[in-house]
Amino acid sequence: MLGGSSRDARRTERYLDGLMDAEERGATEAPMDLDLDRAVLYAARELRAGLVRVHPSFRFEEGLAARLAQAAGATPGTPNEQPAQVFGSIAPFRSRRAIAPAGPAAHSGRTTARDALATLAASRRLSLTSRPSRPLVVGGVGVASAAISIGAVYVAWRWSRASQTPMVRAARAARFGRAYAHGHGRRAAVLHGILGVMS
Amino acid sequence: MFSNTEKIARPARLDRDRGLVDAARRDPACFDALYRKYLAQVYSYAFYELRDHHAAEDATERVFMQALTGLPRFEERADSFAGARGAPKASAEIPADASTFRIWLFRIARNVVANERRRDRRRPVASLEHATGLAAADDTFETAAAREAGSAAWQAVARLPEDRRRAVVLRFVDEMSTAEIAEVMGRSEGAIRVLLHRALRSVAADLRARLS
Repeated sequence: MLGGSSRDARRTERYLDGLMDAEERGATEAPMDLDLDRAVLYAARELRAGLVRVHPSFRFEEGLAARLAQAAGATPGTPNEQPAQVFGSIAPFRSRRAIAPAGPAAHSGRTTARDALATLAASRRLSLTSRPSRPLVVGGVGVASAAISIGAVYVAWRWSRASQTPMVRAARAARFGRAYAHGHGRRAAVLHGILGVMS
Repeated sequence: MFSNTEKIARPARLDRDRGLVDAARRDPACFDALYRKYLAQVYSYAFYELRDHHAAEDATERVFMQALTGLPRFEERADSFAGARGAPKASAEIPADASTFRIWLFRIARNVVANERRRDRRRPVASLEHATGLAAADDTFETAAAREAGSAAWQAVARLPEDRRRAVVLRFVDEMSTAEIAEVMGRSEGAIRVLLHRALRSVAADLRARLS
């Protein structure tokens, strides 16, 4: 159970938080508890308007920056220090050029901007030869079966078509082994039959 | 069992300056980004505490020099706001933009300013009323009015006891949350809350007395 003083202090804190947030949002008014002490409200607004942040002179800022840079030069860094928690890392995409042994920059363990740009440009220049070859299994079976189907349909259509030409009749007669006419052998009948079909 | 689950599920709050701090640790030349970010805040704190531009500049320089040399020893603590003096605080109460680096920096500033004040007690210092109350030649009416209001506000704050004044400056000038002020001043949050409430009541009484 909070005492009266603590409760009032919490109200004041909430109002101050709202006052800061309202200024960040650019709002003119901050949310206010109706039970908030009017004196606190008045003082908070006066202090918010009156106590401004002060910036040092530009000359001092740049002078201190230079002195800090000089001191930083004398302060050793910790290049091999690892953070306490590693949340993730960025790994480059692997490419043929990246896998292949690179120039002196790779041997020294450092990647220059030029090498990075060259790798990026190589990955952008895609061609049929640079892509890995992949057998067209599904497409080949499809084309072959389609050609066979078209041939079968054509033959069936030709045989079902009723033709009254003498050549067709001769071919059919030859197909069934009958002699076409006197003076013609079986070989001639077959030949005529084939020519009739082809026409 | 529930408390164990709660402990596991509770997310660790990360320092918003972690990237800059890590970079400065690897290469001290990168400390410049942290310096530029917090220069005005540290300088304002020193200026309102010491009431003199030159003393504030000296203190600011010491603060950043100490921060630069002490950065390898700085440890980010995700549980910095967990309330070492009491029960662990709920995650919702921890300010989302809390920066443990900022708290560490302001602890250095508090020590530097305290040393500066001890050293300067023997010599008189220019008052902040003079620094903020002098009108410039090109003051417009609004600027002059704001300057007068600022001067009145500061005069009311200047009459506060030291700990209340420090809490008010950290809250209004450096825009710190109650939790951050508690960390900087080494007090509990409840104490800071009551300190600020009483400080505002005193300031209101002072301003009204001046008006009447």
